[in-house]
Amino acid sequence: MFNIDLTSRVPIYEQLYKKTVELVMKGVLKEQTQLPSVRSLAKELGVNPNTVAKAYQQLEHDGIIYSVAGRGSFISKINHQNLKEYAFEDFDKAVIEAFKASVTAEELCDRIKTLGEGYEND
Amino acid sequence: MKMIEFKELTKKFSNEFTALDKINLTIEKGTAFGLLGSNGAGKSTMLRLIAGIYRQEAGELLIDGEKVYDNVKIKEKIFFINDETIQFGHHTLKSLKDFYKGFYPNFSEELFDSLREKIGLPFDKKLNQFSKGMKRQAIVIVGLACQTDYLMLDEAFDGLDPAMRIIVKRMLVDAMIDRELTVIISSHNLKEISEICDTVAFVHHGQILFAKSIDSVKNEIHKIQVAYKEAPEENAFEGLDIVKAETTQSVRHYIVRGDHDQIKKVFEATNPIIFELIPLTLEEIFIIEMEGKGYGYENI
Repeated sequence: MFNIDLTSRVPIYEQLYKKTVELVMKGVLKEQTQLPSVRSLAKELGVNPNTVAKAYQQLEHDGIIYSVAGRGSFISKINHQNLKEYAFEDFDKAVIEAFKASVTAEELCDRIKTLGEGYEND
Repeated sequence: MKMIEFKELTKKFSNEFTALDKINLTIEKGTAFGLLGSNGAGKSTMLRLIAGIYRQEAGELLIDGEKVYDNVKIKEKIFFINDETIQFGHHTLKSLKDFYKGFYPNFSEELFDSLREKIGLPFDKKLNQFSKGMKRQAIVIVGLACQTDYLMLDEAFDGLDPAMRIIVKRMLVDAMIDRELTVIISSHNLKEISEICDTVAFVHHGQILFAKSIDSVKNEIHKIQVAYKEAPEENAFEGLDIVKAETTQSVRHYIVRGDHDQIKKVFEATNPIIFELIPLTLEEIFIIEMEGKGYGYENI
């Protein structure tokens, strides 16, 4: 489930964090879903358990997961505002890239509308 | 007081060669500690001192507050996996296990059997008929079964195939969680160090350049890729600790020390058309540190 790229420059805990958020956004990880334990995930990936623990702490801090003593970590009730902000972060980056490539705001708007129509028809 | 402490420790081989020069280092219990350094830097010497094989000329080495040399009680808490395995050639896995079992009171037959089953090594074959990697596996499982507080691996993953590397890492993770095993690893494979370790020390010419958590090592130095329509003023980057600057075509690359956010702020103020902050790998950091400090270590 957690596909981590050990050769990437991005720190492993950051990858774990982003992957979890992404899976929540896509609806793969639903509310109340239990996450693998720190031990099993650290073992599976062959990484330091503190790295996994750190990602989980950050996720808990940001309200994406919650933990129950002795039972493990679970996906929290989905906070749509958080997810929106997260989505906007990536969106903003993409928009800036597009501007650098001389795409105009108007062109972007048209594109968003087209994409939106496709999404609603689904 | 569960930790390993080097205090102003000096180790010499003959009068001319000082392998370690007044080093200070603390390895806390429960950490996974990586020793990085150039060839001949003194990493193996440090491990052999911890194992009580060598005795220092000056300074102190304390493990859980006690001296280790000739101290059986402390040595029972330490297992050292040497990069050399030739001395075990005449042993079978069974006799090797019985040999170590005699020295380590916490030895677990149960753990040994379960690890051996996972790896599937022959029990009654002599180790000199084993391949290099198999010998390594044999000594790793014996070491883990001894259930010591401290486990040292010199050239940790040398000779192990990729499948075996992940199995050994998983075994280490288990021991780290189950009994707060302190692992000390020396390796030239920095990718693996950065996966399994949480703290690293850079050793060079018998000195410790620094010892820090991997996260802080990585957060203190950055690579920046930047491009401009109009070149910024000469003094635009004043106050930044630029280690290296390179320009290829119109794209500039900088290696900068310091806080991520502050660096970003300075660069963004110069109006770049492209700005990218790229995290450095441990390997790149290692090379930068060695280049920068390699020959001027007296000044550190």
